[in-house]
Parts: sequence; structure tokens; C-alpha cells
Amino acid sequence: MVVGGVVAVALLGAAIWYDADAHVRAGAEASTLRAAELHLATLRHDKAVTDYADAVTTTTRNNLQSSIGTTLNQLAGVEASLNNANAGASLEGLGITALHTCLGGVQDALFSIGAHDNPGAAKAISAVSGPCASLDGGANAGLVYPFDFPDPDVTLFGQTYYAYATNSVAGNIQIISSSDLTHWTSVGNALPSLPGWAKPNETWAPSVARVNGTYLMYYTADFAPSGTQCVSVAAASGPQGPFIDNSVLPLECQQSLGGSIDPSVFIGADGTPYLDWKSGGPGSSKIWSQQLNAAGTAFAPGTNPTQLLAPDQAWEGGTVEAPDLVLANGRYLLFFSGNDWNSANYAVGVARCAGPSGPCTDASPSPILSSGTETSGPGGESVFVDTGGKFWIAFHAWVPGAVGFPNSRDLYLRPLDLSGPLPSVAAPGSG
Amino acid sequence: MTDVLLAERRPAEFADAPARVDRSRRHRRRRWAVLVGSIALVGVALGSLLFDATQANHRYDRARHSLRITRGTTVVVARDLAAARIDLHLVTEQVGTDSNALTQDTSQLEGARSALSAAQAHVFEQASLLNALHGCLAGVEQALNALAVGNQSKAADALKWVAAPCSTAVKASG
Repeated sequence: MVVGGVVAVALLGAAIWYDADAHVRAGAEASTLRAAELHLATLRHDKAVTDYADAVTTTTRNNLQSSIGTTLNQLAGVEASLNNANAGASLEGLGITALHTCLGGVQDALFSIGAHDNPGAAKAISAVSGPCASLDGGANAGLVYPFDFPDPDVTLFGQTYYAYATNSVAGNIQIISSSDLTHWTSVGNALPSLPGWAKPNETWAPSVARVNGTYLMYYTADFAPSGTQCVSVAAASGPQGPFIDNSVLPLECQQSLGGSIDPSVFIGADGTPYLDWKSGGPGSSKIWSQQLNAAGTAFAPGTNPTQLLAPDQAWEGGTVEAPDLVLANGRYLLFFSGNDWNSANYAVGVARCAGPSGPCTDASPSPILSSGTETSGPGGESVFVDTGGKFWIAFHAWVPGAVGFPNSRDLYLRPLDLSGPLPSVAAPGSG
Repeated sequence: MTDVLLAERRPAEFADAPARVDRSRRHRRRRWAVLVGSIALVGVALGSLLFDATQANHRYDRARHSLRITRGTTVVVARDLAAARIDLHLVTEQVGTDSNALTQDTSQLEGARSALSAAQAHVFEQASLLNALHGCLAGVEQALNALAVGNQSKAADALKWVAAPCSTAVKASG
């Protein structure tokens, strides 16, 4: 019994100790677990707070970066605009400089003209030809001389090109010269004095050729006694003049037809000289041809004018004038101007001729050269051959927006392609 | 126990034998009952204690298991928290850098805008001067052309028409 009791007590004690120990361990573990869970909860809370802060900060950063992107885009746009503005200002500055220079030259020319100093005036504008040409914007159209130079006649004598034109700043007949067809300088007045019958300030449309060793200039002058436009001829020992006209009467007037104007000399393949010109006014104009004598100073005895062309195309507006006959590749081509010279409708056409005395027929119902974006009313043309044997066409034209006298008819040069059935005026630089 | 049983069989006591036998029997029964009861009580106590200990052990095991999971989770969360803090730090630094950059860019933009305004004003002024110069030049050139052919009235008209732009050009040019 006692032993059993002792055993029982021992068992109970052991059980109690074991149970208590289990409770202690369980309690401690639970306590540790609670502490761990509390720590975990704290960490989770911190994590949540950090995530929230991260999200907020990330949003702020993204907004900032978006703002930076927007700002940089705006900055790029503003800088591009600024560059454009600066480039525009720079171009304007160049334009202003060119305008100042050009205006200065033109003003000097005006003062010289006021003082009856035509050579001085011609030199003044010739000196500012470059800046003035950049202002007229005709570089793509072949602008070479940005001043009034109507009815140009360009001819190669030796290695120098001479251009003659209707009276303006330089005097009765203007001359400029060039060695490269690009840079032109004033030579002066080709016809310093007029014959007694000619009215001052009315000398137009010269045409110069070397005939029998003498340089002859055919031109138009107003016959003072009747007020009729007439053709005359002056001679010089050199292409730069001075050309002297000692005539007592004009070479041709055709008073009954309304006068003669726009003479153009043509030297045939056999050396025979011919003179082409226009008679009459709007609605009655005709283009004529007549053989000259061997000296070129008068019409050949026994010859009469023959009509080459009369206006018959709509674009001509009743007027054909400024003839220039060319022999190219065995073909006679008559270049002429049509319509009102004082308008943007003026243009250049071409006719095919059987010979120097015609007959001629229009090669096309349309002009080969007319107003464009850079030129208005091109006309008064002449065709010439350069040192390389290539054909060119010289013509005057108004600057668009400044059409009609007293605006300037500037000088343009363009390569001329005569290889096709119809002559075509090429772009500058393609020659 | 055997000694007790032998003692109960003494002859002197045979007279009261039935009563004594009953008492003895009762006594023995009582003692057996006490013994059995004690044993049962100890067993119950032991069982209860063992059951309770087992429950405590189960709680301990569950707590330990939960603790292990919690600690694992804690490690993960702590790692995530550390990563989040690093990320937050980086983003915060970026915010600082971007704020500075935005300030600089905004300042640069303002400067560029000011420069653009000035340039546009300059362009506008120059355009006005260009227009005036163009107008003046056109008129002076017309006058030159007219005067060159003796047409003084047209020359005078041309100069009169461009008096304003020429005056503007002179003023603007200083």
C-alpha cells in the first residue's frame, strides 16, 4: 500500500511537473509567438506605411518627370522658335544691309541724274548690283542686272559680252559688259549724242553687230518733226562705243503704218546683213525684214520690206514686236515679244521662217516665256551665243508686284535649248 | 494482507465470529474500496494531468509552428520592408534630383521664352524696317527711272508716295 502510495505520489508529482513544464513551455512559446506576431504586425505596418510613402513619392516623381518632359518639350519648341527667330532676324539683317547698300547706290544715282551726270549714276547703281540683285529675288529666273535695262541686246565681241538697252539711267543707250555672263558692270552711254532729228529721252531697243569691221548699232528714236518712232543706225570703232549717228534722216519710219521700232540686225550665213523691225502700234503691229547693204548702213538698193509676222495668236493681244531672227541648226527662228509691254501679259514667242525674208509662221500657239513667280512680263528678248557655242536668251522683266513704268525692267539671262522642235528656255545654271 | 487474514482466524474470537466476520468483511470491503478509489483517483489525476500536459504540448507545438511561420513571414516582410525603404530612398532622391532639374528647366524655359520674345520683337522691328526700306527703295528707283528719261513729274510723284516709308526707314536706321 505504502509503496503503491509512494509510487502514486511520485507519478502524480512527475505528472504535475510534466504538466506544469508543458504549460510553462507552451506559455513561453505563446508569449514568444505573440511578441513575434506583434513584431510582424509592426513590420507589416511599417511596410504598409513605406509602400504608401513610396507610392506617393513615386507619383510625385512621375509627376515631376512628366513635368520635366513637358518642360523640356516646351523648351525644345521655344528654342526651335528662337533659332528660327534668330535665323529670321539674321536673314532680315542681311536683307536690311543689302537694302541699305542698294538704296544708298540708287539714291546716289538719283542725285547724279538730278545733276545730269548719267555716267556717275550708272556707276553708282552698277556698284550696288549685287546687293540689289539679292533683293529682287530673281536668282532662279536668271536675274543678272537688277536695274532698268529694257529691250536688252546681248552680243559676244571677242571674249567680252556687251549688253545694250533702251535709254535709262546710263543715258540714251545703256551699255554694260561682262566676262562671265554673271557679273555685269556699267560701261556708260553708247550713244552720247543724238542726231538732230531725234527727240531726247526717246531712244529704244538697240541692236549691235559688227559689219565689215565696223560696229553698227540700230536703234529706235522719236522723229521730232512728226513724233513718229523711227529706226536709225550709228557706228563705232569698238563695241563699247561711243556710237555716232550723223544721219540727217532716219533709216526707216513707215509713218503710214504708225512708225518703226525695235530694229534687230541679222547676219545671214553668207554674211549678208538684214534688218528686222516692227511697225505700228497695238492692233496694227507687224514685223518686217529687209536686206541691208554690205556696209549695213542702209537698205540694199532694189529691196523692199517684207512682212515676217503679224499678230494672230490670242496671247499676243494684237501686238508682235521686238523681233530677233536666229539661224540655228539650219533653221530660221524668229523670236518676238507679244502683248502689252507695260503689263504682266507681255511674253516671248517664236516663229519658224523659211529664210531671212520669211515667210514665218508661229511655232506654237503659246509663248515660250511668260510671267512666273519671279518675273512678270518678260520680253524685249535677244538670242546670243556664248564662248562655248551655246545659245542664250536675254530678256527684260518686271519684278512681280512692281509692274509698269516707272518700275524697273531688270535684265535676265537664261540658257536656250534649240535642239527640240520648239525652242525652250532652260533654268539658269543648266547652260 | 495474508497476515491480516490469519489473524482474523484466531479461536478467541470465534464467539463473535459472525459479527466480526461481517465487520471484517465490511472493513475489507471499505479498504478495498478506498484502495480502488485511490487507485482510480490517482489514475484519473494522472490521466488528467497527462491530458492537460498533452494539450499544453499541443499548444506548445502549435505556437512553435506558428512562431516558425511568423518568423519566416517576419523575415520576408523585413526583407520587403528593407527593399521598400531602399526604393523609397531612391525615389526620394530622384524626387530631389527631379525637383532641382525641373527648377532648372523651368528657369531655362523662362529664359528661352524671354529670349524668344525679344527675338520676335527684334524680328518684328526689322520686318517693319525691311518693309519701309523696300517701299522706299521701290519709290527711289521709280524716281530714278522716271528722271532718267526726263519724266520729272513721275519722278516727283514716286518720291512723294514713298516719303513716309523713307522717313520711317531713316528713323529706324538711326
